[in-house]
Amino acid sequence: MATIVKVFAAGAAGLALGLAASGAILARDPPFGVVAIGPWRAAAKAGSTDADPYTRAALERSGEIPLALGEGLKLVARVDSDGRPLDRRCVYKIGPHTPTARYWTLSLVDRDGFPVEDAAGRYGFRSSEILREGDGGFVIYVSALAHSGNWLPIGHVQDFALALRLYDTPLAASAGGIDKSTAPTIVREGCA
Amino acid sequence: MNLGARFGGAGLFVAATIAVAALVHLCVVLVIPAVASRDAYARLAELGPVGATTPLPRAAPGERRFPWDDPALAGSFCRFDLSNGPLRVKAPVGRAGFASLSFHTRHGAVFYALTDRAATHGKMEAVIATAAQLRVIVAHDDEDDPSQDLRVASPTSDGFVVMRAFSELPSLFAAATEEAQTLNCAIEPLPQ
Repeated sequence: MATIVKVFAAGAAGLALGLAASGAILARDPPFGVVAIGPWRAAAKAGSTDADPYTRAALERSGEIPLALGEGLKLVARVDSDGRPLDRRCVYKIGPHTPTARYWTLSLVDRDGFPVEDAAGRYGFRSSEILREGDGGFVIYVSALAHSGNWLPIGHVQDFALALRLYDTPLAASAGGIDKSTAPTIVREGCA
Repeated sequence: MNLGARFGGAGLFVAATIAVAALVHLCVVLVIPAVASRDAYARLAELGPVGATTPLPRAAPGERRFPWDDPALAGSFCRFDLSNGPLRVKAPVGRAGFASLSFHTRHGAVFYALTDRAATHGKMEAVIATAAQLRVIVAHDDEDDPSQDLRVASPTSDGFVVMRAFSELPSLFAAATEEAQTLNCAIEPLPQ
């Protein structure tokens, strides 16, 4: 009798643990095929037909329409260059260069990848509209309070992420080969 | 019961729980693509009928359908069903800025993509067909007058085409939207 109870208990506990683990893993970045470039993460094969089952399942659940490698590459940062989680109380300085691409955009999103409501209505910057430094580099300030220069507001959100998209980039075919030094850094300037 | 047997029983319980959890987790990950009811295709189905060019909602706070979409890009899509013949996709491009076509399976993965860099005579154009339809098309090819069509085999009979158009400046978003609306998807009869 005790054995049967134990078998059922193990089965029930296993079911609960398995479902909880699956939910937790699929809600995060896929466990395989993710390339790290400084604070940025790229799942280069995410949109392709030969992605691994985890990546495929995560894609279907999210409803994302992925970018193809031939179109461009999406990089996501949830931490700064020192590895600390992005914090809405801090000011971040992003720049000065990006990997080679015909166009790029940098936008601020919530943890699920949607733009965040903010009074300024500024959800991101395009490479073609940004104010540049004399040497061709750029600086984007990410902060909750208004900042001079290229200011990307944090808006009304607790957890946020930064999305860097590179369109028509020769790197897409070999995301693993991106030189870390060409990716923009995310430097924490100070916190309120 | 001595101490060793008690420990062994607990160990067995933990092992059984983990084994069940692992099995449940594997099933969840592998089954999601088959049962996901809120995947990208299903979300697109709420917006427009099969075959019709329909604008994609622009990424914005409160627009919770397609995560990680770039607010700098205008988009449109058409869903396709190849059971009545291959699909010819056309999109004229003439604007400054990036534009692309991506072809997705029923499950959202991209099986082919091209950008305006690959446009010929001012348009991006391709024919999507099933493997069986491609064999029929090739069998009817005129050897003296080879077809100029770009032919792509679709892994699934159902799927969707997405056109994206980049706006270099916020004020140019309307023009990008207009360009994305030029996407044309038409079923063609198979050659007899």
